Amino acid sequence: MTRVVLRAEQWTAALPAAAYSLFGADLGAGWVFDAHCDRVAVGNAVSMRAPIAGFGADGVDIIGRIAAARPGSEIEIAHDQPWRGRIKLHFTPERGGTKVRLFAELDESGLEWLMHRRGFPIARGRSPNPQLGLLTTKSGPGNLFTAAVDNLAVLAVEEINAEGGVRGRPVELIVGDDATDPATGVAEARRLVRAGCRTIMVSTTSATFAAVKRALADSEVLVVQTLMNEGGARGPLCVQLGERHEDQLVAAAQPVMRMAGGRRWFLAGNDYCWPRSTHAVARRILPRFGARVVGERFALFGTGDFAPLVEEIRRSGADIVLSTFVGADSAAFERQCHAMGLRDQCITLAPAMDESTLLRIGDEASSGLYSVSGYIERLPTEANSRLLARYRAAFGRWAPPMSSLSESVFEALHIWWFAARRVGADDPRRIAEEMRGVFEFPRGTVTLDATGRAGQQIYVAEAAGTTLKLAQ
Amino acid sequence: MGPGLAFDALADPVRREILAVLAEHEECSVSELADRIDSVGRTGVSSHLRVLRAAGLVSERKEGRFRYYSVDPTGAARDVIEMLHSLFQGALVDAGRAATEADARDTSEIRSA
Repeated sequence: MTRVVLRAEQWTAALPAAAYSLFGADLGAGWVFDAHCDRVAVGNAVSMRAPIAGFGADGVDIIGRIAAARPGSEIEIAHDQPWRGRIKLHFTPERGGTKVRLFAELDESGLEWLMHRRGFPIARGRSPNPQLGLLTTKSGPGNLFTAAVDNLAVLAVEEINAEGGVRGRPVELIVGDDATDPATGVAEARRLVRAGCRTIMVSTTSATFAAVKRALADSEVLVVQTLMNEGGARGPLCVQLGERHEDQLVAAAQPVMRMAGGRRWFLAGNDYCWPRSTHAVARRILPRFGARVVGERFALFGTGDFAPLVEEIRRSGADIVLSTFVGADSAAFERQCHAMGLRDQCITLAPAMDESTLLRIGDEASSGLYSVSGYIERLPTEANSRLLARYRAAFGRWAPPMSSLSESVFEALHIWWFAARRVGADDPRRIAEEMRGVFEFPRGTVTLDATGRAGQQIYVAEAAGTTLKLAQ
Repeated sequence: MGPGLAFDALADPVRREILAVLAEHEECSVSELADRIDSVGRTGVSSHLRVLRAAGLVSERKEGRFRYYSVDPTGAARDVIEMLHSLFQGALVDAGRAATEADARDTSEIRSA
């Protein structure tokens, strides 16, 4: 794919080795927007806050991984959010100091995302092909857990189109970004509808899903929540796939208490519908297993400092934290729990903990972390090995890891296709009715019956470095 | 310009390549563009330029018998490319200053030691 390459350069009196070592050192000289990373080593997570106009004082987080690191001479970053691209830094000796040159590649999706955010119209011309919407999170704290969503949707659409699309026409995917904000999500969903989408796959927080479902109630558009959720949305134009919180908690309660060697739980998470609903379910379900809830707290998205909360959890004497934080907040919370020594006292069960959030948390801070879901990247099924191989072949070694939150969009698109092949892409009510059956997917067997609930095997997983493995 | 055209124009790899060449070389004639782009000839470049102009991404300047093309200074692509360029350049300037200051501190510490 052709990319636009941007170049910039700057001279500094520091020698190449010294200039290089400032990258990621948190000294205001990170070279690219004061980049953050634990170690400048290949494969490590890196994030940069770019002060792009129109995003308030905070700017937008570019997140990715170190793809190359040659001390004193070169650093290359492969990033996935808010667009896919590469940023390269070259350090060369010059005039007793160092010339630092930067190359940033921008592809079609990056140009599109930026133009849209700068207020330029980017609607496509009318196409006779079926348009399928994907509303996901490219910016804001949620862009961590959705890092691979786009890629997996693209893979599914490629498979669908290789098999003839819908009635001989290729499906065209249009992506919207909710910016981790329900109101923005509604505006983006409306844009997808105007562009001709009759179905929108929603891979965002439940807060955005709920707002979009309400806003599109009269639009004859099917909204599909692809990832784990609290259920409860009704209507003929709404399908909620993904794990349900009560199934996750029932599966995890006993094994996690066994591993913790205790039964006192503290519930902590972001302040929106899914964490609130999950905590309510925890209060109902956990006592059945002999557990006791000793505290509960919610924090707004973007909370930078969790120290008071970690202190409160310590004082509560909890053995287990049920963390319903998501995305960047989840990463910041877990890193702080580790830094403040809370892991000596308790372990964490985080149902929405995914592999790309773990990558940000890092090997050290991830010990004592547990997740519970219907899929992990290392799930040993044959269909999963095939999908992983295709994913790496298409997006490269440093593409964000797959997780239940992202793999679910791949499956959702296939379920949609299974229905649309029979009834066409233009009748969302009939598509919703036809999204039923038994499917063999990378996560195993998924059953969709008339109750609208996806039946699937649920696994308790344990962080092993920056990946998840099945817990024993 | 139709509101939908900018994105359609960018959907084609040759047109993105033309835009990338223009972003780097300020202004080019059709033959200069054709020299730098292997995948299509002069005629192909001309027809892609028509699409890019219609989308408001590229502007044309006539001089005698020749026509020169550049990224439209009022267009969306120029706005985005320039905004990002100044962000990256600004980041390097900030970091370069901090690196020079850190270097000066280290040097004075060595002298005083």
